[in-house]
Amino acid sequence: MTAASVSQIPLAYVLIFGALLFGLGLYGALLRTNAVRILMSIELMLNAANINLVAFNQYLSPGYVNGQIFSIFVITVAAAEAAVGLAIILEIVRRRNIVDIDKINLLKW
Amino acid sequence: MNFPIVVNLYTLFFGLLALIALVAAYEVVTNRLITHAAFFLALVFVAIAGIFLLLGAEFLAVTQVLVYAGAVTVMIIFAIMMSQLNEIKIEECGRPPLTRRLWLKLVSSQWGLLPLLFAVVFALAMFGLYARAAWPMRALLVDSTGPATTNIELIGAELFTTYAIPFEVASVILLVALVGAIVLTGKEERS
Repeated sequence: MTAASVSQIPLAYVLIFGALLFGLGLYGALLRTNAVRILMSIELMLNAANINLVAFNQYLSPGYVNGQIFSIFVITVAAAEAAVGLAIILEIVRRRNIVDIDKINLLKW
Repeated sequence: MNFPIVVNLYTLFFGLLALIALVAAYEVVTNRLITHAAFFLALVFVAIAGIFLLLGAEFLAVTQVLVYAGAVTVMIIFAIMMSQLNEIKIEECGRPPLTRRLWLKLVSSQWGLLPLLFAVVFALAMFGLYARAAWPMRALLVDSTGPATTNIELIGAELFTTYAIPFEVASVILLVALVGAIVLTGKEERS
């Protein structure tokens, strides 16, 4: 079932797509200054990593699901990270009313 | 690593979904309004769920839609709403010289080329790396374990046998994130 469909898409296509998505996410995480947008970019990068995990799983060991289980753990950790990160951002906004990370330069306020 | 040109229905749909995901990801990075960026992020997640389906990972596709498109995006939008964030516009402050303005436009406006350039250079570098790597291009392990089971069945069995301890640790991580988010955002009386 899955092997039939998987062999139709070359692995290189999936890897290139993952790399492009990761590059966009990396750009956003490095060069944007809005804290929420940086979190979104990090989610993009995690998704690109998930795509690579699933692709390698399907091409190198079809019939096994190790890569997909790694992806599930990545999703779990990403959800936790998003929750805590957004909570931190909300608290910073509440206390100092800024969201630009270039202006958040004190460890203790 | 070879780069074959394959045209069939799977590749076509993969290309379509990949294009949607990349355009939406570009919008996530460059859109001026952060609310729009959040909705484009949801589009990226849905497109990636479709790609997971094409790759034969059904359970992961459903999880992707539930967790990412459902929970994470809604959480981000809630955070934007609750904090009433306004993106700071760089163009507003003064009138910089032309080259500087062009540079700013290129970097941070709605149609900046820099993210695309960055992504393409990164992908080319990664492709160079992939091309040098030596990995088996056909299956390492041949599935010979009797009747074919469904994807979700395999994942469930693996998750509760081989990966039982990481599974439990993941639940602890989620609990810590829950408590941490509540503690961080909870109202505290200021003395």
